[in-house]
Amino acid sequence: MGRYLIRRLNLFLATTLALFIILFVATRWFPADLSYALSGVALPTTQQQLQIEQDYALHSNVISQFLAYVTERLSGNFGISVTSRQSVLNELAGVLPPSFELAFVAGIIALLCGIPLGMLSALSRSKMVQKTIMAATLTGYSIPVFWLGLLLSLWFGIELGLLPISGQINLLYQIPKVTGFMLFDTLLYNGDYKWNAFADVLAHIILPACTLAVLPFTVVVRITRAAMLNVMNQTYIRAAEARGLPYHTIVLKHALPNALIPLLKHLGLMLGPFASYAIVVEVIFSWPGVGAWLVSGIYQRDYTVIQAGIFAVALVIIFFSILIEVLYTAANPMSRKEMYGTN
Amino acid sequence: MELSTLCTPSRLNAYLSRAEPINQVTTITSRVATRLLMVCGLLLATSACQQQDDSQVPNGLVYCSEGNPESFNPQIVTSGTTIDATSHQIYSRLIDDNTSSSEFLPALASSWTVSDDGLVYEFELRHGVKFHTTRFFTPSREMNADDVVFSFSRIIDTENPFHETAQRGFPFFDSIGFNKLIKQISKVDQYRVRFELNYPDASFLANMATDFAVVLSQEYAEQLLLQGTPQLLDTNAVGTGPYQLVEYVKNQYIRYRRNPDYWGEQPESEQLVFDITPRSTVRLSKLIVGDCSISALPKAGELQVAKQHDDLEVDSRPGMNVAYWALNTKKPPFDDVRVRQALAYAIDKRSLLNAVYHDTAVVAAGILPPSSWAFPDENVELQYNPAKAKSLLAAAGVKNLTIDIWAMPVARSYNPNPQKTAELIQADLKAVGIRVNIISFDWSVFTQRLASSNYDSVLIGWSADNSDPDNFFTPLLSCGSIQSHNNWANWCHKGFDTLLRQAKNITDEQERKVLYRAAEEIIGQEVPVIPLAYAQRMLLKRKNAPYVQLLPFGGIAFDKVSQPEPVGGRH
Repeated sequence: MGRYLIRRLNLFLATTLALFIILFVATRWFPADLSYALSGVALPTTQQQLQIEQDYALHSNVISQFLAYVTERLSGNFGISVTSRQSVLNELAGVLPPSFELAFVAGIIALLCGIPLGMLSALSRSKMVQKTIMAATLTGYSIPVFWLGLLLSLWFGIELGLLPISGQINLLYQIPKVTGFMLFDTLLYNGDYKWNAFADVLAHIILPACTLAVLPFTVVVRITRAAMLNVMNQTYIRAAEARGLPYHTIVLKHALPNALIPLLKHLGLMLGPFASYAIVVEVIFSWPGVGAWLVSGIYQRDYTVIQAGIFAVALVIIFFSILIEVLYTAANPMSRKEMYGTN
Repeated sequence: MELSTLCTPSRLNAYLSRAEPINQVTTITSRVATRLLMVCGLLLATSACQQQDDSQVPNGLVYCSEGNPESFNPQIVTSGTTIDATSHQIYSRLIDDNTSSSEFLPALASSWTVSDDGLVYEFELRHGVKFHTTRFFTPSREMNADDVVFSFSRIIDTENPFHETAQRGFPFFDSIGFNKLIKQISKVDQYRVRFELNYPDASFLANMATDFAVVLSQEYAEQLLLQGTPQLLDTNAVGTGPYQLVEYVKNQYIRYRRNPDYWGEQPESEQLVFDITPRSTVRLSKLIVGDCSISALPKAGELQVAKQHDDLEVDSRPGMNVAYWALNTKKPPFDDVRVRQALAYAIDKRSLLNAVYHDTAVVAAGILPPSSWAFPDENVELQYNPAKAKSLLAAAGVKNLTIDIWAMPVARSYNPNPQKTAELIQADLKAVGIRVNIISFDWSVFTQRLASSNYDSVLIGWSADNSDPDNFFTPLLSCGSIQSHNNWANWCHKGFDTLLRQAKNITDEQERKVLYRAAEEIIGQEVPVIPLAYAQRMLLKRKNAPYVQLLPFGGIAFDKVSQPEPVGGRH
């Protein structure tokens, strides 16, 4: 087990190193002065300029420049934003929680709706039900998210006037930031309008979360269905049936946990597309997350923001992919032998 | 049943052939699944319903603004976005423009006197004015002459520690030559300030009433200097205006709270929030949904949509502004007047106006808009004539020309859609054999990058800061304004400059009008810029939103604003 974890940790470190190398090289291609692209200080004083050159070892060879770059970034110095002249790290800390919140809610929706539907389509004997579900998921899978998001805001926001279509909360509520997660912050907030604010946050998250949930939802349905069909044909299910166990026990206790294992693996593979969908959704619904921040940084040629945004998004994906892989290995008896380093 | 017995294939087959149990499995699973689905559906539905029952939100007003402010001090910027977010909300000026006449209204100065030679202005200050009490600053004294002296000497005194912190200078004051104009600013007594000028200037009071001439707190500046963070003066703003800055989150919002100590009439809304929304379609949809009750700079095409909604209305007034296309006269081939004239002949302003502004603007003949008293009676415009453009280009020996047009992707009050304008110009110029590249950056970096690059031409415009016609000439096209990066044409014409100086030194309106007409004629012949349109200023608002003052010269004021019904309610 220990050896396995160390190997995964090594993988994490190696990928992060590769990420650093790519970012380091890309930064040199930015059409701007290198010290400006690294620090974000547009008009440095002589003293600032010297400090930047020293921090990033700009007068040394490429290797020490790279080391200096990594050291600065790892110690949390991402420079300042070109447009707001505030620390990029602070801005990043402000935009990460809303993104996690949105992704989390979308993930929950996808799982809560996707797993039962997948099971239903696998176990139902009605061709009608199966085909309807599969047609629906195929449609959902093929709909471009930018179009779906706009359509949902047009229907539910503008025409029906049911749901808000942009932002995280009505801006008139002034909720102090504690955790950065608006759903928690409104619950922690003790003032007038507490429950109104909480309901407002819920209403604001519905449309973006549903839009973002569509892609993982369809994948969850399809994987659950395939896995369930596969599992239900296994001999141990027949054994359980033969033992006369009640059928919901068979499905929920014996079949489902095993069917969820391949699902876990696919969730890991889906992180990349999910993250890029999240960026699109954030832009459409003006969600104040890292995606919208990164895109506006690109429009404003805010080089430090672009670097930090890419770094954060990539790092999160790498981290969660490896985490899911570890969980998968831990949960899957078939691959558990890997843990002992025997293969 | 023993496990071993089940494992005999024949029995198993027999067992499996009984279909019912499997069916039972299916029904149970589907029941579980349906229940789960219902639960998620219910969760969503209840949260939506909850929202509908309660439309209670705190008292306040949300304004959908078009972009991030560059700073929180209007002294150091010229962009309308920053002015809107600061000048009339956070700060006050010594005197204010009067919307109905050319007189001025007392603001922080309760009265003022001008010496007979026009060289000495004395302002008597209002008593009992308090600066904002914020998280970072608690004023210990009321506003007095020291604050006024500090605010303006910061601009002209290079020794002042706060002169340096404005890294890009004071563009408006630089463009009107403020440092050359002012001989001395002095404190006469606690509530009296004297400005001594080097030469008489008819536009001095008008300039003191502009959005840029705000009064800062000297006490706050000293506190910042002691803390070693003088640059915060322009970001953590402290002023004497009706609202005080609470929080600014880039790309998201600016939050203000009513200033309880405001010297004027208290605004009715407790809170004012600028919801930063760069895309105008998103602003429109937020307005329809009710996320904001007032929205800035609608595109002309969106007015139709707004008309279909009964609860929306358009607020418009003729603007003191002009949109123009500036040609970099320092760079070949634009240093040749024939090329510049050819470009002016080549573009069809009327069709451009139809496409970009619909009926919300008039074709610009010159730089001065019709709402100015000095608007010339005769037209000096170069009419659309592609044939003439071609022959002028041939005469100048220019072939296979490719030019860059810089056009920002965001709306400004003088041009709701610069990108589209650029595309139409691109099409017009193609007809005379000129290829066009369109270059575009977000507003907050647009002017900075433009200033530092060797551009060909730029689509830009100007919203007047005051009622004086000089405001359209000296800041934009005088030799002195090249330095302050407002003269995008980089055009310096001695005769033109002399005319402007003459016009500033006299006070008779008729005589000045003749001089400004002559100046317009020079622009018409030399074509450093090609005026395109005078746009109306427009706001979209919900019918239940209160009266907002669109100031004639640029900014927007919310002081008289209140919100009769909560804004967050969905309709």
